[in-house]
Amino acid sequence: MTFDPWTLGFQAVNVLVLVWLLHRFFWKPVAGMIAARQVAAATLLDKAEAARTEAEAASAEVTATRAGLAAERDATLATARKDAAAARDTLLAEARADAEALHDTAKAARVRAAETLKANAMEAAQGLAITIAGQLVARLDNVATDAAFLGWLVEGLAALPEAERAVLAGAPLEVVSAAAQDGAAQNRIVKAVGAELGGAANLTFRTDTALIAGHELHSPHFSLRNSWQADLARIAAALHEDAVRDAA
Amino acid sequence: MDSPLQSLPLFTVGPAPIMASVVVTWAIMAVLVLGAAMLTRRLSQVPSKAQAVAELLVATVDSQIRNVTGAAPAPYRALIGTLFLFILIANWSSLIPGVTPPTATMETPAALAAIVFLSIIFFGIRGGGLGGFLRGFARPNPVMIPLNMLESITRSFSMFVRLFGNVMSGVFVIAIVGSLAALLVPIPLMVLDLLTGAVQAYIFAVLSMVFITSAVEKGRPQPKKES
Repeated sequence: MTFDPWTLGFQAVNVLVLVWLLHRFFWKPVAGMIAARQVAAATLLDKAEAARTEAEAASAEVTATRAGLAAERDATLATARKDAAAARDTLLAEARADAEALHDTAKAARVRAAETLKANAMEAAQGLAITIAGQLVARLDNVATDAAFLGWLVEGLAALPEAERAVLAGAPLEVVSAAAQDGAAQNRIVKAVGAELGGAANLTFRTDTALIAGHELHSPHFSLRNSWQADLARIAAALHEDAVRDAA
Repeated sequence: MDSPLQSLPLFTVGPAPIMASVVVTWAIMAVLVLGAAMLTRRLSQVPSKAQAVAELLVATVDSQIRNVTGAAPAPYRALIGTLFLFILIANWSSLIPGVTPPTATMETPAALAAIVFLSIIFFGIRGGGLGGFLRGFARPNPVMIPLNMLESITRSFSMFVRLFGNVMSGVFVIAIVGSLAALLVPIPLMVLDLLTGAVQAYIFAVLSMVFITSAVEKGRPQPKKES
């Protein structure tokens, strides 16, 4: 067994030199590259984290925008439904009013038509009554009829107030008869009217066949109707008033 | 067959004999340094296979140092990593026919143990100062000073003896078996020698780190115990 101090020294120096050389050419550069890669990886991770944060923020913004759009859509739909309901109600109300107006118009037209028909019927009935009355009067005794109508004329004058009768006395009056009056008939009329008015009557005579039968007394400010025509007119007016009262 | 315990000089430089172990060490140094220089000349962020292997080696050494010391690995990386690489390559150089590993002679493991011994002193003083380092011998009490001083020598001596004994014995056994049956028979022993060489390199590096860490820790002020 040998132990050489020179070799010990050489080997110690060799190992120390090797430590320095490998530190210079191996350990330091490789460790530096690892550290640089770690720094680069950390930077990339930071950038990725920032990008992820940014993406999450963008996603949240999109979500919020989508929620806002949904809310806006719901509000728009609610407004549209409300407007549609209001328009529907308005249209229904207008249609209902139009229908009621049409119904009222139709009802009024129907009433008017009925009234017109009734009036026409009344006119026709009145004309028929006049015709019937004229034909009946043609078969009656003219003298007796005239006497009856003269009596009713006197009764009409008697029913007038005293003051009015006093005004009529002496005033020019026109006697309208349904048939022409001869001299005797005119004298009877003058005597009967004068007796009722209290003096001589100032009468003129005129014939109107439309009266059918009877005598009427007229002046510019006075009229005493006493004929079948006037009676028929009064009956027709009464019937008309009854019809109007029934319609109301 | 020459005794593996004998070192014969190849040549002399003045009064200094140059042994074969020194020449093999120079060759190993040349291979390591040239390889490292070529490898680190083209480092990039996207590593090649060779660069990936180199980074794996550095990361592994850093991890081991961090696990043992709990501190940053940079101050210890060059020493511990170089010790491991040199011992590993030196041990495995026995596979080259005609080459005797430098670690199979007493001078090289002794030099390595001496470097570790001096490194323990250096890092101990750097970590806790000269006073702190010397006070570390008085822990846990001053009675232990002689034993602690003796231990600091013997543990380095044990590293020297362990490395030398294991490698030398492997070479010795292979040489004996090879002299008896030279063809194929020594191969399993050579494979076993590879494993032994790797394990011894790892043990030497880890023990060096443990002893240096122990010296650094002992040199630092100890927290007072609460009564």
